[in-house]
Amino acid sequence: MSVRPLRVVGQSVPRVDGLEKVTGRARYVTDLVIPGMAHAKVLRSPYAHARVRTVDVTRARARPGVLAALCGADLTWCEPYYGPAYRDRPVLAIDVARYEGEPVAAVAAVDEATADAALELIEVDYEPMPPVITLEEALAPGAPLVHTGKPQAGIFADLSTLRPEPGTNVCHQFHFARGDSAGALATADLVLDETYRFPPVQHVALEPHAAVAVWSETDGLTIWASTQNPYSVRVELAKMFGVSLARIRVIVPHLGGGFGSKTYAKLEPLAAALARVAARPVRLAASVPEAFQTVRRCAARVHVRVGFRRDGALVAVECDADYDVGAYADIGPRVVQKATYTATGPYRVPHVALDARAVYTNTTPGGAFRGFGVPQLAWALESVLDVAADRLGRDPVELRRQNFLAHGEEFAPGDTPIDGKLEESLSRAAAAIGWRQAGAADRGRGVAAMLKASVAPSVSEAIVRLHADGSVSVLASAVEMGQGTRTVLAQIAAEVLSVSLAQVTVVQPDTAVTPYDQTTSSSRSTAMTGRAVQVAAEDVRDQLLAIAAQSLGMAARELALADGAIVGPARRLTYSEALALKFGMSGGELIGRGVIAPGRTAAPLGGSTPFWEMAVGAAEVSVDEETGAVRVERYVSVADVGRAINPLLLEGQDEGGVVQGLGHTLLEEMLYADGHLLNGTLLVYRVPRADDAPAELECRFVENADGSGPFGAKGAGEGSLIPVSPAVANALARLTGVRLRDLPLTPERVWRALRARSPRA
Amino acid sequence: MDAAPRVRIRMVVNGGAREVEIAPHALLLDVLRDLLDLKGAKRSCDTQVCGACTVLVDDQAVSACTFLAVEADGRAVLTVEGLADGESLDPLQRAFLDAGAVQCGFCTSGMLLTARALLRENSTPSRDDVLHYLRGSLCRCTGYRKIVEAIMTVAEARR
Amino acid sequence: MLRPFTLHRPETAEAACALLAGLGEDAAPYAGGTELLLLMKLGLLRPPHLVDVKRIAGFGDIADGPRLTIGATVTHRTLERSPLVRARCPLVASVARHVANVRVRNVGTVGGNLAFADPHSDLATLFLTLDATVELVSPRGRRELPLAEFVRGPWETARRPDELLASVRISPWPAGTGAAYVKFGVHERPTLGIAVALRLDGAGGRARVSDARVAIGCVSPRPMRVETAEARLNGVTAAELDDAAAGVADAAAASVDPADDLHGSAEYKREMVAVFVRRAVRVAVARARGADAPASFPHAVVA
Repeated sequence: MSVRPLRVVGQSVPRVDGLEKVTGRARYVTDLVIPGMAHAKVLRSPYAHARVRTVDVTRARARPGVLAALCGADLTWCEPYYGPAYRDRPVLAIDVARYEGEPVAAVAAVDEATADAALELIEVDYEPMPPVITLEEALAPGAPLVHTGKPQAGIFADLSTLRPEPGTNVCHQFHFARGDSAGALATADLVLDETYRFPPVQHVALEPHAAVAVWSETDGLTIWASTQNPYSVRVELAKMFGVSLARIRVIVPHLGGGFGSKTYAKLEPLAAALARVAARPVRLAASVPEAFQTVRRCAARVHVRVGFRRDGALVAVECDADYDVGAYADIGPRVVQKATYTATGPYRVPHVALDARAVYTNTTPGGAFRGFGVPQLAWALESVLDVAADRLGRDPVELRRQNFLAHGEEFAPGDTPIDGKLEESLSRAAAAIGWRQAGAADRGRGVAAMLKASVAPSVSEAIVRLHADGSVSVLASAVEMGQGTRTVLAQIAAEVLSVSLAQVTVVQPDTAVTPYDQTTSSSRSTAMTGRAVQVAAEDVRDQLLAIAAQSLGMAARELALADGAIVGPARRLTYSEALALKFGMSGGELIGRGVIAPGRTAAPLGGSTPFWEMAVGAAEVSVDEETGAVRVERYVSVADVGRAINPLLLEGQDEGGVVQGLGHTLLEEMLYADGHLLNGTLLVYRVPRADDAPAELECRFVENADGSGPFGAKGAGEGSLIPVSPAVANALARLTGVRLRDLPLTPERVWRALRARSPRA
Repeated sequence: MDAAPRVRIRMVVNGGAREVEIAPHALLLDVLRDLLDLKGAKRSCDTQVCGACTVLVDDQAVSACTFLAVEADGRAVLTVEGLADGESLDPLQRAFLDAGAVQCGFCTSGMLLTARALLRENSTPSRDDVLHYLRGSLCRCTGYRKIVEAIMTVAEARR
Repeated sequence: MLRPFTLHRPETAEAACALLAGLGEDAAPYAGGTELLLLMKLGLLRPPHLVDVKRIAGFGDIADGPRLTIGATVTHRTLERSPLVRARCPLVASVARHVANVRVRNVGTVGGNLAFADPHSDLATLFLTLDATVELVSPRGRRELPLAEFVRGPWETARRPDELLASVRISPWPAGTGAAYVKFGVHERPTLGIAVALRLDGAGGRARVSDARVAIGCVSPRPMRVETAEARLNGVTAAELDDAAAGVADAAAASVDPADDLHGSAEYKREMVAVFVRRAVRVAVARARGADAPASFPHAVVA
């Protein structure tokens, strides 16, 4: 078969769900009306840390219209603890509440008003205990323990060796080393020893978490959930209720945003428990303040010691990072482990000692959030690089370029070699921001780069069905949360099978129908789920070619697919005709299967990353020195994506990533006082608005078709966010001479730093 | 449950006369979504900050989450479902699609109606006018660039 | 989700006041509801009765006269677009344009805003420089109070439970007044709001500032006029203004009583008051000269 130019892959085709979204027809979990649906409300702990002595739900239960009223002590008929790393999180607090907002009791009632009124009838006897809120408090010798006793490990292979520090609030430790970092630092020409802080922030997906659960004798448990990984939810529910995987069905309509907040079970276990007791479908929908009490990003304190040679070469990195994972581990241990593994960023560093800890605190659990621990470390390392550039008299762009890992170079033994050209992203970003041109006197420019591994090992499976009329169904469990995966999967299938996009339907994720996909996160859906779809479509293609070859008496290699038909030198068989030939009638279908499961390898984390995500960001900023307010006037992001299956969608993703990154860079921070979250509402938690976006924002892509994903694609979506904070801080430093190390760079923080700076020459 | 007095209200919703019997404390968002099955307007922040619940009442944008349904009695309400004329999309809807201004879609209804209200009030807005109007409309997915671009495209076409 | 209430819709002030008198604390006056309904949703207020004041004759009017009378149920949007307000006191229209967001402006009312007495109210701060008085009606009759006496503290006014705020009256500045309202802050409610109005008598560098008005809101328990700052402006010549600006700003900063909160530390707020008073004075002076004074600062609105 000759290589044909691509028809639909690489085109900015309209997204397949666009029409339903602009007409208000797209359905999200809270739009669903299931007959008989009851409404749930949750009573949450007002204390950051308290013994829960008694919970009395009898009056609530007795109220007319209440179908279920539960507390932790009632959950004797199921396994009440869940969690992907540690199974440490109870569906409802048992004996102790570990953070303000932890669910302590819940009711399901015929309507919301009744549920609300019933909550007020629940009496809880709390005995407040001293909380630990900050990393310092949690790590202090003799600190109160968030968890006592030994929880079980959860569901992930790469975390089968969880390493807590017994008797402390450290629930996991990760260590990675090579060479002799102590020795190298001792002889380095320049050693920088600095500590950076990254705040707790919340995803603020516009749609908070929601689920509707219903049990039936015949079907088991069915749950519609706003979740990024239906299969993780399924396995948690199976373990919890002792039901087989086949009898749990997780269906995912559209998500109103995810960003990691909807990975792994969150509200689904509680919805399912209530539904079981109520014997009715139960809808549990969180409010935005409740989302702040469900999950957030892991805050971090990152201490780095970085050694350089006089000529700018990196010789050693020592990193000691503490991540605040909140009251329950969620996926925090993996965040810590995976991010720390790439703490050295996209650079060649011969000597490293990287240590990180996941630390419990009595605050909202920290989990996955776009970047997965890497923004916190890049904030430190990319800032330090600029400090070094300044001290060594080197240009920050050139300092990075000279230290970049090369295309094909090893990152770590056993892991995938670097599969992109970092210097190309850097050159394009620098050129786009006008790095070599003199800038306006009141503007400063800064750059930053990033590298991130995708979760490995992981599994994605897909099924492609070719129907008798030539139309195609794609069955895959990548969740559409706005990033456009449904469209991309359709494009891949349409490309392989040479049909129009309109002929392809991507079925909504449904564990009873669409096969296993590990997760929609980690920038992996195009590269992994997309590859599974590609392989499944190729399976169908091969079946078509075989049918035609036999029928036409030709070799399959003499045939090709074109516009819904198998074409040979002189003959053409439509897919319908091919199926009719095969089945001898007008029905039947061809089914193709794709399984992408690279399996465990000798890589340090147990699996080789399917691709490296790499990107560069360049910012141009101005500052109102009298107030400290920073404006990002221009921002350029260049991501090395292999192949942009849909350039417009990808550009939209990265624009969103940059602006979301501006959130934690300039505006966002969850603030606690005595364990109480002060700003868990949008009235006082400030996310970027339209006028916060840079007036000039460019997102570009390097496409060298060098990825292992479909058509040479790699992953994207997190790379645009990670460099934002260091790029902005670097720009601010170059403009004003002040170096800030704590995010966000609020006007007051910048103002203080400007006041404290010594007079400039 | 609650024996609150009921009130009958008559609205013109998306061009059609609708009559519903509600309690005085019913919020317009819930009446639209639950009684009239118009699910396009969404509940998000529930505090008038995010704009996901935006609908137009007599051409003016309101936060349906904090607007008593009784206030819509005798008035015209426009939701996202009323923008298209049958199969024919409103230019704003078309522009949002073409510009790639839709990702998760949860803010989209509010953005479209806010843009519609803006263009009714000012048919040739500047970019600053658009940003002023969008100050109360949050999006967490797109970074706003394509949304502003889409609105400006429609505005330019009117010049 | 709201708890049930009875909605009353009186058509006269007398009827409304009679309801308030009869129901006492069980009743809340209701206009736009942008503040009230929010508090009710949060469960912080649970009035069994709402007295809708939007049907009361005259409450929605803006009346001309030596003073401008703005009815209690006039929305921010109406204020923004009123030809009368734009003609008599354009800064009021400009400030109204920037209250909260467009949806709140379409529904929220001037009376509701003043009666709610949120310390972060733009209009309350601005109106202090316009010699504002509020008119309160009750079964006992009418009384008029200076705004400064009406707003007592955060969310606290002099309104008695059976009184209704019927209107606010402002005295538009005389011709030649240059005025500016600047607010600054990152959150939904501003961190500070500064209103400055002044005239320049005479011409050129020797023109002298007169009738200076400076009001600061958001950073103290209630918005306040700053007489000490005004005193440092009055009589100063245009040529001396730059030198005098520091003193004016210092007086303003010294006059406020900020607390550490989510908007910032007290120290920062005090310093920002100084910065923005300087900036607002600069804009007001330029406008007093008849010059356009485009000014823009990140996280600030200059009206």
